[in-house]
Amino acid sequence: MPTVRLRDAAEYPSAAQRLFELSKTWFNYEFEQPPAMSRVMAWDPGFGSPHGRAMKRAMGPGEFTRAEKEMVATVVSGVNACSY
Amino acid sequence: MAADAPWYEAALLVGITNALNVVADGLGTADSKPLLNPRGDEGTSSELASLFADIRAFYACQEIPAPFRLMANDPGYAADVWEAVKHAFSDHHLSRRFKEALAFAVSLTSRSTFGTAFHLAEMRRLGIGERGVMEVLGVTQMFSSYTKIADTLQLEPDMGHIAPVDRTPAPGGRAL
Repeated sequence: MPTVRLRDAAEYPSAAQRLFELSKTWFNYEFEQPPAMSRVMAWDPGFGSPHGRAMKRAMGPGEFTRAEKEMVATVVSGVNACSY
Repeated sequence: MAADAPWYEAALLVGITNALNVVADGLGTADSKPLLNPRGDEGTSSELASLFADIRAFYACQEIPAPFRLMANDPGYAADVWEAVKHAFSDHHLSRRFKEALAFAVSLTSRSTFGTAFHLAEMRRLGIGERGVMEVLGVTQMFSSYTKIADTLQLEPDMGHIAPVDRTPAPGGRAL
């Protein structure tokens, strides 16, 4: 169980709503609520915005495809024993 | 990557990469006196000479990677592990080039001195440029951040359902 109460998207200010829309576009999925990590990142835009931009730069296609990078992200999560 | 096959392949690769790193880092590499003597080329049996030749051919270099010299103290065991390594790193659903990138990410994440240097060198040997290296480094670093944030807040998985389910049977099996 999370150590914090994850707020509903509706509890966030309007600037965060735009981030949640970007999250839907990124995952190409219509979430009932934005993913927990998106809501965590939206809590502090001063951190979440540049962190998100760095993530998108890293995940964008280049020498490796986005799909390949998702697999890299998965194995890194696995090695870090992170179930999220 | 919608099918399961590449994910099984990646998981086996992660496992065997970690297995090599554990031996190389745990028992010592070039910078320290090894805790177990690495087996040299001198006085090797034909079985071991054949194994070393196959390893050299696969990596296109004269140097035998440290974990294989350590494991070669038991040639039969080393040969079995090598067969698994060679299979795991060969082109199949995933390319050998990409597999070296995965192994680099695994090694960097697990702080393996041997694995990080070895798989970085292999990535470059197989044609991955500095941009590609930086891409893998970036993904590894970003997801080393996300995972720790998620763990600290004990977030529960909430995205597993967005992936399609692969209903195909196991290799050689039949669908139910």
